[in-house]
Amino acid sequence: MNIIKTAVAAVAGAVISTAALAADLTVGVSWSNFQEERWKTDEAAIKAALDAAGAKYISADAQSSSSKQLSDIESLIAQGADALIILAQDAQAIGPAVQAAADEGVPVVGYDRLIEDPRAFYLTFDNVEVGRMQARAVFEAMPKGRYVMIKGSPTDPNADFLRGGQQEVLQAAIDKGDIEIVGEAYTDGWLPANAQRNMEQILTATDNGVDAVVASNDGTAGGVVAALTAQGMEGIPVSGQDGDHAALNRVAKGHQTVSVWKDARELGKAAGEIAVALAGGTAMADVDGAGSWTSPGGTEMTAKFLAPVPITKDNLSVVVDAGWISKDALCQGVSGGPAPCN
Amino acid sequence: MAQSDTDLPQAAKKSLFQSLELDTRMLGMIGAFVVLCLGFDFLTEGRFLTPRNIFNLTIQTVSVAIMATGMVFVIVTRHIDLSVGALLATCSAIMAMTQTAILPDLLGFGLEHPATAWITILVGLIAGTVIGAFHGWLIGYLTIPAFIVTLGGLLVWRNVAWYLTSGQTIGPLDSTFQKFGGISGTLGTTWSWIFGVIATLFAIWALWNSRRNKIKHGFEVKPIWAEGVLAGIISVAILGFVAILNAYEIPTRRLARMFEDKGEVMPDGFTAAYGLPVSVLLLIAVAVGMTIIARRTRFGRYIFATGGNPDAAELSGINTRLLTVKIFALMGALCAISAVVASARLANHSNDIGTLDELRVIAAAVIGGTALAGGSGTIYGAILGALIMQSLQSGMAMVGVDAPLQNIVVGTVLVAAVLIDIIYRKRTGAK
Amino acid sequence: MTTPLVDMRNIRISFGGVHAVDDVSVDLYPGEVVGLLGHNGAGKSTLIKILSGAYQADSGEIWINGEKAEIHNPRDARRYNIETIYQTLALADNLDAASNLFLGRELVTGLGMVDDDAMEAECRKIMGRLNPNFQKFSEPVSALSGGQRQSVAIARAVYFDAKILIMDEPTAALGPHETQMVAELIQQLKAQGIGIFLISHDIHDVMDLCDRASVMKNGKLVGTVDVDKVTDDDLLGMIILGKHPGKGASEGSGEKSN
Repeated sequence: MNIIKTAVAAVAGAVISTAALAADLTVGVSWSNFQEERWKTDEAAIKAALDAAGAKYISADAQSSSSKQLSDIESLIAQGADALIILAQDAQAIGPAVQAAADEGVPVVGYDRLIEDPRAFYLTFDNVEVGRMQARAVFEAMPKGRYVMIKGSPTDPNADFLRGGQQEVLQAAIDKGDIEIVGEAYTDGWLPANAQRNMEQILTATDNGVDAVVASNDGTAGGVVAALTAQGMEGIPVSGQDGDHAALNRVAKGHQTVSVWKDARELGKAAGEIAVALAGGTAMADVDGAGSWTSPGGTEMTAKFLAPVPITKDNLSVVVDAGWISKDALCQGVSGGPAPCN
Repeated sequence: MAQSDTDLPQAAKKSLFQSLELDTRMLGMIGAFVVLCLGFDFLTEGRFLTPRNIFNLTIQTVSVAIMATGMVFVIVTRHIDLSVGALLATCSAIMAMTQTAILPDLLGFGLEHPATAWITILVGLIAGTVIGAFHGWLIGYLTIPAFIVTLGGLLVWRNVAWYLTSGQTIGPLDSTFQKFGGISGTLGTTWSWIFGVIATLFAIWALWNSRRNKIKHGFEVKPIWAEGVLAGIISVAILGFVAILNAYEIPTRRLARMFEDKGEVMPDGFTAAYGLPVSVLLLIAVAVGMTIIARRTRFGRYIFATGGNPDAAELSGINTRLLTVKIFALMGALCAISAVVASARLANHSNDIGTLDELRVIAAAVIGGTALAGGSGTIYGAILGALIMQSLQSGMAMVGVDAPLQNIVVGTVLVAAVLIDIIYRKRTGAK
Repeated sequence: MTTPLVDMRNIRISFGGVHAVDDVSVDLYPGEVVGLLGHNGAGKSTLIKILSGAYQADSGEIWINGEKAEIHNPRDARRYNIETIYQTLALADNLDAASNLFLGRELVTGLGMVDDDAMEAECRKIMGRLNPNFQKFSEPVSALSGGQRQSVAIARAVYFDAKILIMDEPTAALGPHETQMVAELIQQLKAQGIGIFLISHDIHDVMDLCDRASVMKNGKLVGTVDVDKVTDDDLLGMIILGKHPGKGASEGSGEKSN
């Protein structure tokens, strides 16, 4: 008899506690392509923020397909997501997915990449400022000369934001004639291989007549540096962003001038917190740090911008101290380098 | 033993189950599909087999399933088509540009004009058919192997689409056009039931007609009770499917918006269900059409004959070169139809649309029982294959399986399915 | 003198520089069996494929029943009531007997749909006559025995009222009982006035079944002889050495004198 009572109590307890858990929030994250190295850091940060709030994390990987991303989001909604964090593969084609979420009353956070839809909360680093920081660092190292602009993916609105910011900083010098842009190319899919190929073509076309390269992220910067190294030109100023370990290593070695670091952990943490707040019923405009912003496409959006940090050889310790990269990884193969590698 | 001309040789007595004369391979596939669905339903605590998820599953399968039916004919004739995804992208690009740029420039009207969607679809169909016929000409008349022609096609048409749109995502698309995408265009409860009833009546008529023909020629027919059982199973399946789709209710918010669009106010407590999506209706139409072609037209008969023995077909007077052109033209047309569904679903044309679809389509056809050696394959098998693959992927995504693992599983299932097919053929003594 | 059923005159065809058939003339009269003999590669199959429409001759003429015939493809040949039973049987293994019987000339319903039931009924009728023990109507022909496949191929030729029948090595893959059946069939067809070209490498079969024999070597016609006026050795000599025996007059035209 006692055994039966215990068993019944155990079962009842399990049922009740699962029922209680089910009352907690579920946040769904739709990744555009989880294969890129960087997103694992973002995921860890989002998960940590969700754990702290007691919410459940579910996710899907669209593997670079907009069609699959739509199916993924339908699935996340069907699994009971109370809020969605979406890293959009295609800013426009994500429309139907946002529509589906809105129909169900599920709030959406547009993560890092713009979603042209006022119903999505846009959370990103100030990408225009990133572009400015990239251009500033390269300009300081090479105030006059022939520049090449290696841009991001043509379907990613961020690519144009960056290019816009870069242009702002360089405009005066271009007008004066100090700087001449001898080559400019988009990089399909942000793929380093494509950036390398495009850079090689530009080097051939200009007969190696290039003095500086403004690359829009570390992946493309890697491709650019590979192309330059093949021509013995490594060391000319090159910019990047993301704080990829390989890029920071290049900064330590002197092959890359700057990597604008957006602490993905900050972004992930903010996304998790905002998702939970929106799911809990907070209005978008009431989110801490949110403001109104008009997209280049003319859409009025609610957005929050986080501040990026440009990492050059002068402040490499920042990334080591923040625990972003280990000193060994940063200084691998570096001899006679800047702090903290010396 | 003397036999008169009218006394035809009769077959042996059959068991009860054999009397139903069901295709055991089809039963096996349906069985596997059911096991899969039940398994996932258990693992996701009942969320897999909800009306919403079944609805989602069907609309996600449509574009691959439509192309898979065409791929059956291609593979049966011992060819292959690696370019279907790229061709889908080109058709999608052409259709997107037609409705957003060309029609407004040329004829002065664009999105939201009643004729736009239809002209656009016609343009897409023509493009797909012409490109497909071109492939068929290269393969049939110039005797370039299909693998090579369609491999080249894969590269060419993917990048033609890119070139045409300058890599831009084009949208939004015409709202009538978008109805073909799935959730934006459904029949609603009443019409879905009407369709269900008509389909059931048609199926029963088909069974009865086939029986009548057999009797006319003096062949053996199934016992009446077996016919009754079959009719019952089919009716339950069709009406049950419609019932499930009708159980998926439209969220209140969306209903309110639909009323607003018409300038009306939604009455309190009003509910409506989605019902049968237009894209699924399209798939059913394609399936029925392709099955009729495969089984009951000379074109279909010649396809299977050429696949079984190309020399025999030639010697029987079949023009196998023209046949190849027609097969690939049909494939191209089906790619265009899939392009309508895929781009309508996304409400945009995007540069990556249809990427890797060729692999999914070939896998669907092969899992559905089409032998790569040629000569055998069924339309319903290909659609079942597409459903199985999609449920596998959706189910794994719901359970939370990592992306790399999902792909590993799909690849393994593909090889396993073909292995089972080979063993099955050996056992039953077929070639 | 009766008009020959088939009169092939001065047929030539080359493949890539090789003269597969070099100025060959043969003829066939109603109710007779003419054997075509020769080594592998002598050109007999090629010659007959020209008659059945699978190949087109480079030069030469084909006359059927006293009129010039234009045969450009297998369909044209069928229109002249020429039916062929190929060595490989030319059956589509994945289709059933009825489909193979009607391959290329299916029966259709009023709506233009293939009428499988009607075709199966016709198939049962004709197989009932040719091979009463045949039951496997719904199975693909790959599941049939060699003899059964042969009977399907023969049924195809017989069903469509062939006036001119070409049989390419019909008994090569058959056992003695089935060979006997084929021999009886040939007698039946002869009695109906059908002319038969019989390709065989087996001299005994030719001596048993044929009325006349044309021998080819290296694409050329060695000669045409009456079978009952020559011996086995004579025929052997013609095949291997290309030596036309002095005796043995042949009917009809087309023999080259050397």
